[in-house]
Amino acid sequence: MRDFKHFNAYSVDEAVALMGRYGERAAVIAGGTDILGKMKDSILPAYPEALINIKTIQGLSEIKESGGMLNIGALALLADIAANPVIKSKYAALAQAAGRTASPHLRNMGTIGGNICQDIRCWYYRNQNNRFSCLRKKGGRCYAIKGDNRYHSIFGGSVSGGCFAVHPSDTAPALVALDAKIVTSSRTIDVEKFFEVKPVKTTVLKADEIVTEIQVPEPAAGSSSAFLKFALRKSIDFPIVNCAVMITLRDSKVEKARICLNAVHVIPYRAVKAEQVITGRVIDEAAAEEAGAAAVSEAKPLEHNKYMVAIARTLVKRAILACAGK
Amino acid sequence: MTKQSEIERARMVEMFDNLRADKYTLKEYKYIGKKGPRRTDGLAKASGEADYTMDVQLPGMLYMRFLDSPYPHAKILKMDTSKAEKLPGVKCILRYDDPELAESANLGLLPIFQNDKPLDGIAHFEGQPMGAAVAADTEAIAEEALSLIEIEWEERPFMLDPIAACEPGAPLTFPERYMDGNHWNKGVLDEDIHSDVKKGFAEADRVIEFKIARAGHTWICPERPCGVWKWNGDCPEIWLKNQRGYVAKKYINTWFGGIPMNKIELHMLYQGATFGGWTHTDWNLGGLYCAAVASGRMKRPVKYVFTRREDFYGSSMDEGIYFVKVGFKNDGTIIAVDSILYEVNAIHPVFGPVLHLHESTRIPHLKGQTKSIWVNKGPGVAIRCEMLGPVLTQTMVMDHVADELGMDPIEVALKNDGCKGHNMGWLNEKKKERGFEVRDSLKECIEKGKAEFRWDQAWHKPGTRKLPNGRMHGVGFAWTHEWSDSTGSGEIAIRIERNDGTATLLGMHCDSGVDAENTYCQIVADELGMRLEDVHFNPQFDPGFHLNSPDSSCGMSINGWLARHAARTLKQKILESATSPSSPTQRGSFSPAFPNTSPEELDIKDSVIFVKSDPSRRISMADFARPMALQGPLTNTEAFGTRNAWMEPLCAYAYHTQEGEYNPKGPREKCCRQAHFMEVEVDTETGEVVVTRVVNVNDVGKVINRMSCEGQQYGGSIMGMSRGKLEEVVHDPVTGVMLNGNLIDYKVATIQDVCPISTILVETGMGYGPYGLVGIGEDIATVVPSLLAPAVYNAIGAWINEFPTTPDKVLKALGKI
Amino acid sequence: MNKEIKKYVCPYCGEGFDTTEGLKGHVFKTHKGHGLPVSEGGIRLFINKAEYELKVEPNWTLHYLIHDVLGLTGSKQFCDQGACGSCTMIVDGKPVLSCMMLAIECDGKIVETVEGIAAEGHPLIESYAKNHAMQCGYCTPGFVVTSKALLDRNSDPNEEEIMSALAGNICRCGTYPQHVLAVREVAQTLKQEKKQVRG
Repeated sequence: MRDFKHFNAYSVDEAVALMGRYGERAAVIAGGTDILGKMKDSILPAYPEALINIKTIQGLSEIKESGGMLNIGALALLADIAANPVIKSKYAALAQAAGRTASPHLRNMGTIGGNICQDIRCWYYRNQNNRFSCLRKKGGRCYAIKGDNRYHSIFGGSVSGGCFAVHPSDTAPALVALDAKIVTSSRTIDVEKFFEVKPVKTTVLKADEIVTEIQVPEPAAGSSSAFLKFALRKSIDFPIVNCAVMITLRDSKVEKARICLNAVHVIPYRAVKAEQVITGRVIDEAAAEEAGAAAVSEAKPLEHNKYMVAIARTLVKRAILACAGK
Repeated sequence: MTKQSEIERARMVEMFDNLRADKYTLKEYKYIGKKGPRRTDGLAKASGEADYTMDVQLPGMLYMRFLDSPYPHAKILKMDTSKAEKLPGVKCILRYDDPELAESANLGLLPIFQNDKPLDGIAHFEGQPMGAAVAADTEAIAEEALSLIEIEWEERPFMLDPIAACEPGAPLTFPERYMDGNHWNKGVLDEDIHSDVKKGFAEADRVIEFKIARAGHTWICPERPCGVWKWNGDCPEIWLKNQRGYVAKKYINTWFGGIPMNKIELHMLYQGATFGGWTHTDWNLGGLYCAAVASGRMKRPVKYVFTRREDFYGSSMDEGIYFVKVGFKNDGTIIAVDSILYEVNAIHPVFGPVLHLHESTRIPHLKGQTKSIWVNKGPGVAIRCEMLGPVLTQTMVMDHVADELGMDPIEVALKNDGCKGHNMGWLNEKKKERGFEVRDSLKECIEKGKAEFRWDQAWHKPGTRKLPNGRMHGVGFAWTHEWSDSTGSGEIAIRIERNDGTATLLGMHCDSGVDAENTYCQIVADELGMRLEDVHFNPQFDPGFHLNSPDSSCGMSINGWLARHAARTLKQKILESATSPSSPTQRGSFSPAFPNTSPEELDIKDSVIFVKSDPSRRISMADFARPMALQGPLTNTEAFGTRNAWMEPLCAYAYHTQEGEYNPKGPREKCCRQAHFMEVEVDTETGEVVVTRVVNVNDVGKVINRMSCEGQQYGGSIMGMSRGKLEEVVHDPVTGVMLNGNLIDYKVATIQDVCPISTILVETGMGYGPYGLVGIGEDIATVVPSLLAPAVYNAIGAWINEFPTTPDKVLKALGKI
Repeated sequence: MNKEIKKYVCPYCGEGFDTTEGLKGHVFKTHKGHGLPVSEGGIRLFINKAEYELKVEPNWTLHYLIHDVLGLTGSKQFCDQGACGSCTMIVDGKPVLSCMMLAIECDGKIVETVEGIAAEGHPLIESYAKNHAMQCGYCTPGFVVTSKALLDRNSDPNEEEIMSALAGNICRCGTYPQHVLAVREVAQTLKQEKKQVRG
């Protein structure tokens, strides 16, 4: 890696001030497993002049539940989230998602804040030495459209309809399914509104804003959640498709359903049509199957990723059934 | 009377180019074949003490990195390195047009190709290291300097697809080397014809045709390719990541006007695996050449390193499209196979698609054509191993025929077992001629494998067994001969050490993980009659004795002979020395350790020399070798009335040579077989293929190092499964850029992706190696990839003839997309 | 079932703690920990029980510091992107990827490398050698370190737990089956030793 300045921030204010000073010329480093990879490969047109370390900020890694709310510090490690008994029992989708992210080593290093803020994995975007100066890098076009798009979006693009790179997080869809809120250094946002696709950005965070906490409301009585991930390998891999579901049952029927797919679209994809189909129904194979079909009814696959549609449909079905213990 | 040691030497020569069974095998084995012997590298590797070339650091050492072409086919028109030169820490920049860089140098390609430029100004694949090399204080500085080099490129048209590259009007992909067209091997190793396929198809009851597509995959060697060059005056001292240091030395010998062999000191440390790969390409030595030039200029050692991305330099020799036509009888006997392989970038296209069918079956009419098509990708080289193409063809032929007839593929296998178009009767006669015990290797392998796998309960008609978990169950079977035969030669020496009589093997260290050096020690221990703990291979040493391997290709079939020849010669020397006067000088001599005894009356066991008819007359090797001349006037014991007996050096060397069998017209019939079984579950809703069980059965003739053999089985199965199911190199069709040159996007199986693997070793003794052995290192990793196709076919009832067997292909075969 | 699951083990005295903070506090108190560094780029850290005070460049990874600068070459670099586990070291009791950590962010950390584990005579080394849990050996230190960290927090792991812990370690030679055997064997040994100590 090339030279850069390194700052340890000891408070949120300090981090924000440093970020304000450097703007786009600096990057925040938490676990480091995303940003260091980008720097080693020099994927962006400009190399960060400085890294601002936020691991030195105390008090951002706690996990506690109180007053009907689960509060997870942005620096909470994925391993700790996966192992936390409260999260495993009441917010199962999140524990499962965190536990299936990456590898055991990376889960000891990666934070949940980093996981939802992580950059896209598109193999054009990530090619070394900024080989493809694409739309996301304020360049001319998306190279995946005419190229090899086997891992790209099946629901169309963004950055003015041109970029088809998917959001790669495993925890993000779980947070959407669990209806979480993202607390930053300046505001609180619904998790679904947190993701945005613009050049060199995957979230709505401003240049001088960091995530400090994630709040997950305690699921209503009769709720259960599940997370499924599809990848070519059982470890290390980013998802090809993943799916998180939270279902609230009343009198054996679905009172509320939140279904979120990820790695299928530029931001986590809330399968609203699937939710509509399953609401009010008893969960059985047929209902779940129908919901799965509805989830992908608006799919617009590219040349090489039609198979992802079948997988997405199947994961929705199976995640719903998993919530019902089937 | 001829001394026994001379008899042993005569026998050694007799076994060169061995064409028959081992006539002089041992009667009993103490270490050979047993499961006890410890790995000699185990503690070093587990504790982190084992040193690799990447770990080498010398005082003042510079680091060298290379420019990589961003284009699949392009020429440098102008290059401005001025900014890079100004970067603090940059010491030397070599340019493609530097006069000190030879126009061409011998970098290790076969003689049929032109010599290569160490630093080319023209790139023929994206990511090719070329153009410039920067030596700096650190790797990071070298890397940054490269980004400051400004280049004007002339982009040229490029091709990625072998069939398109053959079409008339297709642009030349490598005009400097292949000026007549991208299909460069017309008339060179391109046809392999046996009898008359037209006649065969006419006689067949049925004829089928199918097409196979195999995506390129690559070696992925854990240790980055690298090397260090240090000039000591005019003598180079070199550390090199390479499987075959002796071959590297041969080429280095020709550089810079010629560096005498006796001035080249080559350190071969532990090797972080190559599986062939880099060792076979010119670039490993090209990097070294550049480092040598920079080292000469800077008067400092230079370490060149290639990055993980640069390690994706080339790929396997099985990438391409196979057109296959098979004619067969209704009873499963195959009459004719005609196959054309459009092979991507194979630089030694010697292994045509029907090679294995010729060597291990009775199919009378075979025609294989290999069109090696050059496209703008890296070279296709042997990666564990070069038989991937012919093995894939054999598996697909056998299993497609079984499918057409609704037959058990094992039945089809047994019906077609044979050799060079002849049936088993003919092969059995050959076995007798060659001096082997006549065994039916395939039958034995199948019997053991079927029992372990419970094949009879597991096999079913295709697409008919759904499991309780909703997945489709399938099993597959593949077989071929067991190979190891190779062209090669080697040398080794063994000496008995003074003072304690331990034995040291002297040979160039080149360990890549198969525990070969321990295996040589097992052979030497059994042959000499010494305890294994008294025999040691001295690594980290360049004594000039080069072993043929261990590139794991055919290690034992040459080096096994070497170790044995040397041990037998040495043993006789020891016994002759034990019965002769010792320390003869003008002043007299000392009486023999065993007076009035002939060498034939002696033997060695557990490191003790003894008289066979009276074992109480004995002397340990330690005591026998102990007498050692003391040095200097103050140690002259004559003043005390004694004289020191001294022993002549007990050292023997040996060599072996063998001409290989890769040429299908070669003289050795392949008698040993291997059989592999795979069970899968296919999720028909997602296309996921899960491999749930594998059984490997390998007839290795004779097991020497049992745990090492098993390691090659499960290790090869894991590599095989990974290749068959997960691995492919992906290039962007529009720009020719490699998209997955890293370990996240190129998928190597993790521990959670593998299943229980049962390993069975059969020993029929029908190998041409010492003790009847035949090799194993390459065999399993080469056969297992092909198993995915028949196993998945059995699960879903549809053939997927494309590899790797990824979910999208499964869903397509099921008609779901 | 008498299965102890310890979390973070002090490399000096073997005392176990539930959190890394607890472990760090203990080390700093009981084994002479130090305060914040005084110079820019200066860090203090413990590596295999030895204390180091070093000046590091911001762009040095922990792996580069330990392998290239300090010459502890046991840990290896295979993928250089956090995808293979060959560079694993134990930092504050957890197995992490040293090639994806900045040295400058390791001030105050307690690091164990394969050299330290071998120097202590950990039975894993012998078990690995005996069970042929290596071929080319390049990934082996990463596996040994990861396995050691596993045994520190779970001294009697079953096959699934072992595979789960080693899921981030890639072996190209395919030695995976042997690692389960090697770790199980050590777990048995440790169990026996405990029995002997108690009994």
